[in-house]
Parts: sequence; structure tokens; C-alpha cells
Amino acid sequence: MEAIWDCLKQVYDPELGVNIVDLGLVYDLQLKEGKASVVMTLTTPGCPMHDTIVGGVKRALEALPEVDSSEVEVVWDPAWSPSLMSDEAKEFLGYM
Amino acid sequence: MFRLPFLFIITGIISFALFQIFSLLDLATWLSTLGDWPRYPTGWSRVHLLVLGWATMIAMGAVYQLIPVVLQNQSLYSRKLGFVHYGFFAVGTAGLLIGFQTMLLPLIASFATLAFIGILLFAINLGITLYRAKKWNTVTISAACAVSYLVLAGLSGMLMGLNFYFDQWGSYHDQLFGAHLWFGAIGWFGLLITGFSYKMLPMFYLSHGHPEKLQKVVIGLWNAGVLVGASSFLFNAPGWVKWSGLLLIVLALITYSLHLSEIYQHRHKLDPGAGMKWTQNLARGMTVVAILVLVLYPFFPEIMAESRTYVIMGWIYLWGFIGLTLLSYLSKIIPFLWWTHKYGPLIGKGKIPTMADLINDRVVNICLTVIVSSLFVVLLGLGWNQPIVTSLGGSLLALSSLYYAGTLARVFLK
Repeated sequence: MEAIWDCLKQVYDPELGVNIVDLGLVYDLQLKEGKASVVMTLTTPGCPMHDTIVGGVKRALEALPEVDSSEVEVVWDPAWSPSLMSDEAKEFLGYM
Repeated sequence: MFRLPFLFIITGIISFALFQIFSLLDLATWLSTLGDWPRYPTGWSRVHLLVLGWATMIAMGAVYQLIPVVLQNQSLYSRKLGFVHYGFFAVGTAGLLIGFQTMLLPLIASFATLAFIGILLFAINLGITLYRAKKWNTVTISAACAVSYLVLAGLSGMLMGLNFYFDQWGSYHDQLFGAHLWFGAIGWFGLLITGFSYKMLPMFYLSHGHPEKLQKVVIGLWNAGVLVGASSFLFNAPGWVKWSGLLLIVLALITYSLHLSEIYQHRHKLDPGAGMKWTQNLARGMTVVAILVLVLYPFFPEIMAESRTYVIMGWIYLWGFIGLTLLSYLSKIIPFLWWTHKYGPLIGKGKIPTMADLINDRVVNICLTVIVSSLFVVLLGLGWNQPIVTSLGGSLLALSSLYYAGTLARVFLK
């Protein structure tokens, strides 16, 4: 599973310059019989990067040998909060 | 969805560059003439190149780009209609500019009608999109009101164009002209910029948990201001009614600036980019100027009634607030558009540039600083009636603006 989390770190929010794991956008990650399922959110409903980031997550997952297919569900409840960011992300954005 | 906003934005940038080139070719002497006699062929043509060819073109592109985003990825009612709208509006505007410059009245009347048809198609497309989505919030309400005022500005403009030809209305033409300015400059641009800022600024500042109550106050005050201001001209109301319209807009600007401070206080990103910082400062600056005008208006009614004062105030509002805010936003909108088109499909496949890599933020800041400084020189020249100073400031403004347009255009090479 660690490899899958690492691969999600390749998916960056292109405006913020921080990956989606450190931003705290990924709520859940499961791998069952080659199918990866991600439950995630975005920093704001109606994020202009919605389709781009979801597409990126699927591409990153499906590039892994242990993943045959993937499913990404974007949820708004619970809503994202800045407290979900890692210390690295907060420091990068100048907010500590 | 990339091509439609791109088409409007690229046309807007070309119009902007053309406007600056024309200004450089006559060393901005047209601006001095505008200060002495605001309504003359070249003045009409240049102002409409800026307002329709650039600002409205960019604003329409931004609406096509941002409304589906605000509606949480609900698509536009019809992209085809968007392209037809572009055709009517672009051809109508181009013909209108030539009509103004040459004062060929049939040309003005017919192309004003084409441009107005374009505006109507835009309003229909956006109206159906919003009606279907049924997601009413401060951004969508502001956009809907803004586009309604654009229709009214277009209608009054088209009627003036027809009256140039048929010459039937006498002094009512001037009353219509005042309403045209209120609907277009304050209603359309003002509500669109304030409304989109409620989405753009929190997004780039990564603001979270800021109160949104003041947004509704701004919408109420701004609409009331536009309706009072435009009606005061349409019905030739006394000066205090005109002043009341201005008062409402000043109150709206104060509330808007306060709300931007709330967004800033709840930020989680220290540096949102120069464009976003400028947006906030421009709103504050415009608020201070508007308060000064409001307070001085009753004490100096003769100066306030002079056409030169109107030109100066118009230039501060249209260039200093609307134009510069659009330029500031473009430093984010263009990298976003291009990044999504070129690098969006590559996300998750390895290292790719971020949006910040597509434009040099330091250059953006320097350009905007020089543009603002040049604008001050223009205003100084107009205020003191010194054509040489106006010409110097206007030429600097054109040069720095051209460089900025180049900086924006270079994003498409990355």
C-alpha cells in the first residue's frame, strides 16, 4: 500500500505546487483484487482542477503493476480543511 | 472547453496590443484631445477598442471559462452558440470601430446591431446555463446581473447608433449616453469583477472559513447604485439623484474592500502571486478615489460637471480599476488555461511544470507597477491640462502594456 500512497504523491495541485497527499485531499485508499479505490476531496467545491486531478489520480494508479483498474470518488463531506495539510505542505505554502 | 474561452481571450489580447500600438503611433496625443473634447471619432473608436475589443472580449472569455467551474463542472448550455456569439460580436465590434473612426453612420448603425445580437446570444447562452444549473450563489447572481446590464448597455448603445443615423431624439441621446455608461462600465464590469473575485481570491489565497455575508451586501448596493445612476440619466433627474447613485456605489466599494480583507485574513497561502495582490490593492485604491469624488462632488459642482473631470474619472475607473484588475487576473487565467490544455493530460505521469513556472511573477509585478505609475502621469497631464505630460504618460502606458501583453502571450510558448 505504501507504494500506492507514494504514487499518489506524484499528483500535484498545479497552482499550489503541493501533492494531493500532503494537501490532505485523499481520505481513503483501498486495493482489492487489483482494483484501487480512492475517496478524496478538493480544496473547494467547484475546483477548476476537478477533472484534471481526478484524471491524474487514475493515471498514476493504473501505471502501477499491482493495479488493474481504479475508481476515484470525490466527496465534499467531510469538507477539506487546511488542518488536514502535512507540516511540509504548510511550510511550503508559508502557513505554519 | 478550452477553445471557446481561448478564442475570446486571444482576441482580447490582440485588441489590447492594437490599442497600445495606435497610442504609440500618435504618441498618445489622442488622450489629450479626449481631455478637451471627449466625444470625437478617434476617441470613440479607441475607447470602444479598449472597452469592447479588449475588456468585454476578455470578460466574456472569463465567463465561459469560470461559470462551468463555479457550477461544479456543469457544462455550458451550448458551445456552438458560444462560437456564433463570438462571430457576431467580433465582426460587430470591428465594424463599429471602423464606423466610429470614419463616422460613416450606416456602418455605425448596422455594426452596432450585429454587436448587440452577439451580446444577446451571450446572454441567452449564459441565462439557460444558469437556469438549468439552479445553483444560485453570490458568484452566479453577480454574473447574471452583470450580463443583464451588458444587454442594457448594448441596447442603449445600439439605440444611440441608430439615432446617429436617423437623428430623431435630440437631447434624449445624451440621457441615453449617461445610462449607457452606467450600465456598461459600472453594471457589467463592476458586478462581474466583484462577483468573480469571490471565487478567484479565496482560490489563490487558499482562504478557508471566511464569512460571506458581505458579498450579498455588495450585490444589493451595487445593483441599487447602477439602477439609481442609470435612471438618473435616463429621466434627467436632478444632481442629488446622480449623487445618490454614486453614494450607493461608494458604499458597495467600501463593503467589497472590507470583504477582500476578510478573505486575506483567512488565507493559508502567503504568496498568491502578484496579480492577486494587485487585485486587492486596486480595489482599495478605487474605493479611496470614489470616496474623495463623493465628498468633493457637492462642494465643486462646476468642476465635477466639466467634461475633463468625466474623462479623468472614467480613465481612473476604466483603466485604473477595471482594466488593471483584468490584467491582474489574466496573469492567473492564461497560465491556467494553457496549463490545463497542455499539461493537464500529463498529470500523474511524472514531473511537469506548475502554473507558476509558465509566467514570471516578478515580471508581472514590475509590469503592473510601471503601468500604474504611467497611468498616474497620464492623469497628471489630463488634470493639469499639459498635453506633453499626457503624451509622455500615455506613451509609457502603451509601452509597458505592450510588454505585459507580450509576457502573457509568451505563456502559450511554454
